[in-house]
Amino acid sequence: MIWSNFIFVLLSSSLLWFLALIFYKKELLKRLFIVLGTVCIGAFIAFLWVKLERPPLRTLGETRLWYAFFLPAIGMITYFRWRYNWMLFYSLGLSLVFLVINYIHPENFSKTLMPALQSPWFVPHVVVYIFAYAFLAASSLVAVRGLYQHYSQTLDRKIVRMADNLVYLGFAFLSLGLLFGALWAKEAWGHYWTWDPKETWALITWLGYLIYIHRRYHMPAKLQSSLWILALAFVILLICWFGVNYLPSAQFSVHTYSQTP
Amino acid sequence: MSIKKPIWQQPWGYAESFIISFGVLCIGFGLELVLPVNQSTLIFPFNLILGASFIILLVLAHVLFRKTKIHAFLSGIPLTISLVSVLSFMVIIMGVLPQIPSHQNGFVQQLGLNRMTSSYPFLLINLFLLIVLGLVSLRKTFPFKLKNWGFVCSHWGLWLVIFTGGLGSGDLRRLRMDIYENKTEWRAYDDNGRYFEMPLAIKLKDFLIDEFNPKLAIVENETGELCEAQKPSMIMIEKDLNCRLQDWQVQVEEFYMTSGRAGDRYYPLSDFGAAPAAKVRVVSPQNDTLQGWISCGSFNRPHESLKLNEAFSLVMTVPEPKRFSSEVTFFTPEGKKQDATLEVNKSVTVNGWKVYQLSYDEKKGPYSDKSILEVVRDPWQPYVYLGIFMMMIGAIYMFWKGRESIND
Repeated sequence: MIWSNFIFVLLSSSLLWFLALIFYKKELLKRLFIVLGTVCIGAFIAFLWVKLERPPLRTLGETRLWYAFFLPAIGMITYFRWRYNWMLFYSLGLSLVFLVINYIHPENFSKTLMPALQSPWFVPHVVVYIFAYAFLAASSLVAVRGLYQHYSQTLDRKIVRMADNLVYLGFAFLSLGLLFGALWAKEAWGHYWTWDPKETWALITWLGYLIYIHRRYHMPAKLQSSLWILALAFVILLICWFGVNYLPSAQFSVHTYSQTP
Repeated sequence: MSIKKPIWQQPWGYAESFIISFGVLCIGFGLELVLPVNQSTLIFPFNLILGASFIILLVLAHVLFRKTKIHAFLSGIPLTISLVSVLSFMVIIMGVLPQIPSHQNGFVQQLGLNRMTSSYPFLLINLFLLIVLGLVSLRKTFPFKLKNWGFVCSHWGLWLVIFTGGLGSGDLRRLRMDIYENKTEWRAYDDNGRYFEMPLAIKLKDFLIDEFNPKLAIVENETGELCEAQKPSMIMIEKDLNCRLQDWQVQVEEFYMTSGRAGDRYYPLSDFGAAPAAKVRVVSPQNDTLQGWISCGSFNRPHESLKLNEAFSLVMTVPEPKRFSSEVTFFTPEGKKQDATLEVNKSVTVNGWKVYQLSYDEKKGPYSDKSILEVVRDPWQPYVYLGIFMMMIGAIYMFWKGRESIND
């Protein structure tokens, strides 16, 4: 079975990243180990793609895998830009959490893909969302750290700038994901927006970050409230991503793709 | 820290904004309780007249009051944030409560919480948002500064999407057509089953369906529910498949996509209604071997499962469609004729109507002679698309520039 090989990915990535942590003062070794650990996940995604004969972007488990891949990638980008070691290892840790969840609860990896999803819009729609989620997750980590610093009176302004930048990038991707989805829906089903529960929660997420951006723009000196808005926005994002399936409204969603025999 | 300003003293800030937004929300809910259910379907030309008047009033208000405090407040960020918060609050309610019509008459129904998008509070807040967004966009556009182009694109884009999407919803027609093989249909029906004559006729020449192979699954005998002790819980049948499903080792010895039962076995067959069937050999955890035929059946054939023990049976699932398409000919009143293939995600536009492949007779599956199409006419679409593309440009701008624009 395809999924049974996953344990090797989990083990090798954790081992490589653990080595990176040990050698965190040796720049070259650290970077090498992190890149290799990420490549392992990337290779598994490629392997899945070939084996399933479709992009592995459909089930929750598959998107978690992409998330586990993009988190370290974005962690590295932010590291190269700002040199925050903690950010790098936070993202690796978070990525490992997703890998472990996938190991404990592998999804039903079937080859079938319903005709509605067989569209050139499918991959950009989901990939752009995954980018957005990864950036926004990183920004919320920064927010939590910022709040900690705020309450321990050691707040560094740089950290809020970094949160802002991550939110700007994440929000740009989130908007693109939303708009791609609207165009796809119009082309495939005849309407942009049907207030499907997933769409509704995606809009709430978008509005949450919209509030943060405007608040920061308006009151750049008031950091505490902005940081709290950012932390809350991530809670909404998590509901949108995982929680929607458990809400009373979800029984009418086209985004759950639950399978019944 | 600044000294606290008494409330309602100019310039207005967050406190005033939130009170006003909350007030508008309450007025909306009040209207919802008092007025009859809002069946707003503004159609052409009324939506156009209303929209044009709105734009003229907005521009006039901008030109006349642009130097006043009230304009600064109405196009300011505190009011934006409060309105977006109130809108989020309503959308969260939508995201939790199912949005379906209900015949009950409780609290939820009276406040219109189960049909939020057509409720008064939702309309009022969106209208208010359009005013605020419109004023701030006007202020940033005139006089135009080149450095503001990203802002102008994203804000006008969003304004256009809300404005044209909202006004155009009355003119949007989404109808369905059931077409049958070798017959010509020119009538379409709406959600309430009312029929309309269309300015085009469609003849279905052939309906084609391509299916994935069925899957093996283990179900509980009593409930008929899927047993999901381990993942994967379903495995697609292939020729000579030998796999482990839960605690059983299953080997597929014979498999036919279309077959019929005769005597004690299935034979390959391409009759009307012929169903998939497989001969399987199952080894239980106790090393007992079972053998038998399973089939998912079809609309005119029974299904057959293999009982594994008192608790569980092995079944074959109904195949999922891989792709389905309709070979059709369109006829227009002008006498034009056009052949086309309709497929999910691949629509065809004829005479101002977009035709989508929607569904088919699912009971008959591959033997369906009926194809269900959706026909859509949306004259406002180009304007909504313009808004969407402007927002996309705004998003790319944002990605490129990052947070540079914040000055602290």
